[in-house]
Amino acid sequence: MTPVDDDAPPASPAETLALIQQERAAVAGTVSLNPLGYYLPWGAAWLIGYGLLFLRYGPDGRIFVDLPAWLPLVVLFAAMVLAMISTAVVSARRGRGVEGRSTWQGTAYGFAWFLAFAGVGSTTGRFAKYLPEQEQGLLWACVSVGTVAVMYMVGSAIWLSRDMFVLGAWLTVINIAGVALGPGWHSLLVAVGGGGGLILFGLILWARERRRRG
Amino acid sequence: MADLDPVIHAQARLRIMAALSALADGDRMTFPRLQQILDMTAGNLSVHLTKLEQAGYVEVAKSFRGRTPTTSAALSARGRVAFDDYTAAVRALLDPPKES
Repeated sequence: MTPVDDDAPPASPAETLALIQQERAAVAGTVSLNPLGYYLPWGAAWLIGYGLLFLRYGPDGRIFVDLPAWLPLVVLFAAMVLAMISTAVVSARRGRGVEGRSTWQGTAYGFAWFLAFAGVGSTTGRFAKYLPEQEQGLLWACVSVGTVAVMYMVGSAIWLSRDMFVLGAWLTVINIAGVALGPGWHSLLVAVGGGGGLILFGLILWARERRRRG
Repeated sequence: MADLDPVIHAQARLRIMAALSALADGDRMTFPRLQQILDMTAGNLSVHLTKLEQAGYVEVAKSFRGRTPTTSAALSARGRVAFDDYTAAVRALLDPPKES
């Protein structure tokens, strides 16, 4: 068989396979999402933010730690802004040099998050004022967490990821349980189960990816 | 290793095929990014991409992003099959089926 040109073939079958694996891993590394940069900042934001809300606004109006009234929400929003920045950076790096179907999937999904929360903000903002103060906080929290859960399950359909569905379903269960238990308890569940769950989820994905790459 | 696909069985083209095979269906990789990942000169990459394109294994698309022309490449359906066949053939060489 005549060679197509003078570029040397790999020395052995073993070396051939090693080359294939090396280049596939190099590309996979650039197109896959860094799970630590994506999930950990959100997990930390929820764990700390909702944790402080629980300590300051506990069940039945109890105050476990007498923090300034404004502190928990300010910390929660500041941490969420940091998480948003991290998400934007991680998502932008993921798509470098890749065009086509996945670009549209990522862009549409990103905009869907923003539009979903625009809807959450306008609807909840309109009606929350008719509720007692503690219930107002619960309404904001449960609609937001429920929307996040739905977005993860939608993500599971886009990227065919069973893990994302499990995460979304878990957040939904926590959210429903928290609403049933009432203000205070909802914050605790979202902090520990939601924030802790997101952190655990990111770590599991990260460990699995490391093992797969050897 | 005489009966391996000669179009793929050369280091540079094998590496290009392997890299593109890791992309999701419907995705293309831009020329500069491919060059960076494979650490090849633009001329070398261009020569081998053209050969793969002529063999019908790779589809090269040229488009404009604003005023900047961008070139991107992806495996064709035929290229995917050829690469899978090639990989299977190499595996079979490493672990030959036992004869009874």
